[in-house]
Amino acid sequence: MTITELMPFSVLVPLIASLVCALLPGRFWPWAVTLVAVIVSAVIAAFTLPAAAQVTLSYAFGNWPPPIGIEYRVDAANAFVALLVAGMAAVALPWAKKSVDKEVPERQGAFYALFLLALSGLLGITLSGDAFNIFVFLEISSLATYGLIAHGSDRRALLASFRYLIMGTVGATFLLIGIGFLYIMTGTLNLADLAERLPEVRDTSTVRAALAFIIVGMGLKLAMLPLHLWLPNAYTYAPSFVTVFLAGTATKVALYVMLRFVFTVFAPDWSFVVLPLSTVLMILGVAGMFAGSWVAMFQPNIKRMLAYSSVAQVGYMVLGVSLVSVIGLSAAFLHLFNHALMKTALFMAVGTVIYQVGSARLKDVRGLGRTMPWTLTAFALAGLSIIGVPLTAGFVSKWYLIQAALDQGQWFLVVLILVTSLMAVIYIWRVIEAAWFQERSIKQPDVGEAPLALLIPTWILVALNFYFGIDTRLTVGGATAAAEALLGGGMTP
Amino acid sequence: MITSDWLHPSLVLIAGTLVLPLLKGRAMQAWMVLLPLAVLGTLWMAQPGEHGQMAFLGMELVTGRVDELAMVFGWVFGTVLLIGAIYALHVNDRVQHVAAFLYGASALGVVFAGDLITLYVFWELMVITSVWLIWRRKTEVSFNAGFRYLVIHAVGGVVLLAGIILFQFETGTTRFEQIDVDGPAFWLILAAFMINAAVPPLHAWLTDAYPEATVTGAVFLSALTTKTAVYTLIRGYPGTEMLVWMGAAMTLYGVTFAMLSNDIRRLLAYHIVSQVGYMVTGVGLGTALALSGSASHAFTHILYKALLFMGAGAVIHMTGRSRLSELGGLYRYMPWTFVLYLIGGVSISAFPLFSGYVSKTMIVEAAAIDQRAVIWLMLVVASAGTFLSTTLKLPYKTWLGGDSGLQPREAPWNMLLAMGIAAALCFLIGIFPGMLYALLPGAVDFNAYTMSVFLKEMQVLLFTGLAFCLLLKYVGGGPKISLDVDWLYRRGGPRLVGAVGSAIITTDRAIRRTTLEHLARLTAHVEKKHGRDGKLAKSWPIGSMALWTAIVLAMLLTVGVYRG
Amino acid sequence: MKLARLIEYLISKRSVLAVLLLVSMAALVLVDIILPPAYTRFTWDAIGGFAAFFGFAACAALIFFSRFLGEKLLYRDEDYYDDHE
Repeated sequence: MTITELMPFSVLVPLIASLVCALLPGRFWPWAVTLVAVIVSAVIAAFTLPAAAQVTLSYAFGNWPPPIGIEYRVDAANAFVALLVAGMAAVALPWAKKSVDKEVPERQGAFYALFLLALSGLLGITLSGDAFNIFVFLEISSLATYGLIAHGSDRRALLASFRYLIMGTVGATFLLIGIGFLYIMTGTLNLADLAERLPEVRDTSTVRAALAFIIVGMGLKLAMLPLHLWLPNAYTYAPSFVTVFLAGTATKVALYVMLRFVFTVFAPDWSFVVLPLSTVLMILGVAGMFAGSWVAMFQPNIKRMLAYSSVAQVGYMVLGVSLVSVIGLSAAFLHLFNHALMKTALFMAVGTVIYQVGSARLKDVRGLGRTMPWTLTAFALAGLSIIGVPLTAGFVSKWYLIQAALDQGQWFLVVLILVTSLMAVIYIWRVIEAAWFQERSIKQPDVGEAPLALLIPTWILVALNFYFGIDTRLTVGGATAAAEALLGGGMTP
Repeated sequence: MITSDWLHPSLVLIAGTLVLPLLKGRAMQAWMVLLPLAVLGTLWMAQPGEHGQMAFLGMELVTGRVDELAMVFGWVFGTVLLIGAIYALHVNDRVQHVAAFLYGASALGVVFAGDLITLYVFWELMVITSVWLIWRRKTEVSFNAGFRYLVIHAVGGVVLLAGIILFQFETGTTRFEQIDVDGPAFWLILAAFMINAAVPPLHAWLTDAYPEATVTGAVFLSALTTKTAVYTLIRGYPGTEMLVWMGAAMTLYGVTFAMLSNDIRRLLAYHIVSQVGYMVTGVGLGTALALSGSASHAFTHILYKALLFMGAGAVIHMTGRSRLSELGGLYRYMPWTFVLYLIGGVSISAFPLFSGYVSKTMIVEAAAIDQRAVIWLMLVVASAGTFLSTTLKLPYKTWLGGDSGLQPREAPWNMLLAMGIAAALCFLIGIFPGMLYALLPGAVDFNAYTMSVFLKEMQVLLFTGLAFCLLLKYVGGGPKISLDVDWLYRRGGPRLVGAVGSAIITTDRAIRRTTLEHLARLTAHVEKKHGRDGKLAKSWPIGSMALWTAIVLAMLLTVGVYRG
Repeated sequence: MKLARLIEYLISKRSVLAVLLLVSMAALVLVDIILPPAYTRFTWDAIGGFAAFFGFAACAALIFFSRFLGEKLLYRDEDYYDDHE
């Protein structure tokens, strides 16, 4: 089997495994099956990236040649995102066992089945070269995600899930409307084919409207300010493991879809001209950076604080995109990857606190630095990454973002990026202050350090944050290849 | 960072420090003395040249640049780490020891950094490690002071990073040589260096925090942060005219505020500002003699200032008091501390035969050769002021003067030993300045022991003493604190922020309320019209989410559709 | 406490020490006046005893200036910052 033939299995394996999982009883087997499926999927994705970086891979389902059949078309950009998604799932799963046992004690078969569905949906979105197929996978992953969020033990999880459902459906519908418009105008759903046929018809308001719908639809899924309002509740009330997984993957895939349409399907020299995309994205990105960080500084719940921080981090990525240059896009892809690393580590640390204490409110973390030093040190170190301290992954992406801004002479953006980094210092500091500099009140129960099953995966991610802060070959290489693939029209046949 | 001919002293120190928490009692004490010795040994073996290159983000990092200038600071940092470690042997707080050694490792890292990225990393590490030397005093006052210290340096770090990024963007390199660009990069990096050098008005972090540090921590603090900044200034900004004046102003600012201080370590902290002022002036003058003067003054200053802080610290350790107005008459109980402190005092005052004399006079002489009359006079006034408060007022009010009724015991042996080593070095350098001059980059064409230098210095000092004796009753002091620039962020800032913040909150609330009211009306309207059961409509967040979606879509569509 | 006794002794002889010091100070100024100036970089290089005068004046000025500054502007009670933090 060549890598091209193997590639679709990174989507199919979790999909099939989810059916198996749904039928499995107990607590061990669903998890074990999921773990195997996810690892297989991640390994395939890991082999796909180097191959796709050299030549665009294409696989036609059922031997129906594209554009009629469904095609998987993979270049450096989607291979990079696919590896991120599958890799994050593989890293998060060992951590999941304990946490899920506690937070979702019953019907774990269904829970893990939903997780696998969500994963295969996300991977399907990423790898597919067919617009309608992307929509279908988007719906699969979204529906599964709503189910996952609703598993949260807090009653508000249901409402959060419901809100996300409404907004997610609006987003998916917008995407569908956009795709429909494109189909009407070109008669094709294949992305590469679309890119080829669009130039003839693109001076119509229908195509322009299609672009607008797709951007808003994906902006919603991406939680770009001001379309982010579903995110904080969803992240806060979902089971810890779901938050860990979503924070690293879901918004990233949405960003990828948006980029794929804006850059490959509509060429950037058209899409950034016909709509003031550059300005709009820059304003929304900066606003997201500020509003997210600002709100995060005042949150009493750490999970919620990190959720708002995610809104800010999405702002950095959107800002990188708005610069419309190879280095800007590279910065966006880099931050996409690095943010997944740091946020996953942070949410894992918080999830570990929840496992031990049962709450992630700031006042319940008081004094934990002494009793749970490993957990909170992991949090602090991952926090350094989100602040952007040198030798961490966060520094690398901010460095590239700043270079991209300077490259276009946008001095003020540099200032804004540094100021929002200082705001990150403040919200991370609040946790450190509570953990180490405040006393535990007598009423709060004493807790010990968390079990190793939670600590080891968390520390692996923390270590990755530092590893990718020092050895940047994989991340910078992958991100640059991805950016070049998008800007260089890697999809055109 | 390791090759066959290069072992980074910071690496040695960091690796050794990691072992420290595992040790106890005597073993820990022995390790604390061995570690600085190992660092000195590493320095001894260091070969001139560039070592430890690494690639990072497409730039070449040079983690080990060994030249004479770096070695001057390397030697004195290693020495003061040894002295400080001995002084702290009795302390049974591992966090402090670990912090102190890591802090020393970061300072060494800055000094040997051949590029700005490496420098920045160690620069920040210095802040994160040193703040624990303040916090471990474990009082609320020291926590707050340490926190202010942290915030100021965090801001300074961002300024430095911004400068480095611009510098790299404009020159395409991050090598750390003389900063030779125009525009913001030059000023940002300079500002960051000046914050760490405690140049007024950016100095208040020092005089605010150092007096609140632990007794032993203050010794390290007094030696490292400001002197790494002096090193970076010598390397990056020699001959910057502005620094001549800022430095001279610094010397006077420091001595004036020292006169107002009642806390003994705050008084000494103001004299750090003042003494670093001499070095900054030397950097600004930029001649070979002036730069040699700055480097050697940094060297001698570290030793005598550590000695002074050790003496003051011993008093605080034994009496639990730190205010001049509560001390007095201690010479009967702590005579050794007294005498050793006085050696530090005459060294900082630049008495002949003591270390300050052979370095400070070099800077003053460089100013004279440059024909800078006003600067020369300012520096001489500062000399008088230094003698006045560190060597006359402070010891007089602490050990002599009115009896405070305190009857402490003499400081423990390890404190005295550390002070003894520092005092011996002050004396040795004073007698054999050639040993110090031999370390400096370039030959030093200066002899402090000429009749004319000797005469001027002695006259200034002795007649300062005369004035002190005659005017003793007018010398200020008393149980008061004096305001400084830190007022701006301790009282002024919070007041301003409070006012602005409450204004923002009120506005924000008002905006939200009106928006929500409008939304409520909108939903009510929809509800009435469509006759839904109302549950969905009542959920404001979904309403507002949808509203935002509609707004963004409408914006884009408007532009898109009406464009053609 | 031998050292303490030595200091005690010196303090008891402080008037003798003061005379010695004053004599040596006078000698310093005298030598400075008699010796020809080594430099003429500044106008005051030629004035014998200028450094002595200047040192005295500088010290006096610092004492009075700092006291003025403190009492008119900068002194606060020691608990000034306490109520705020």
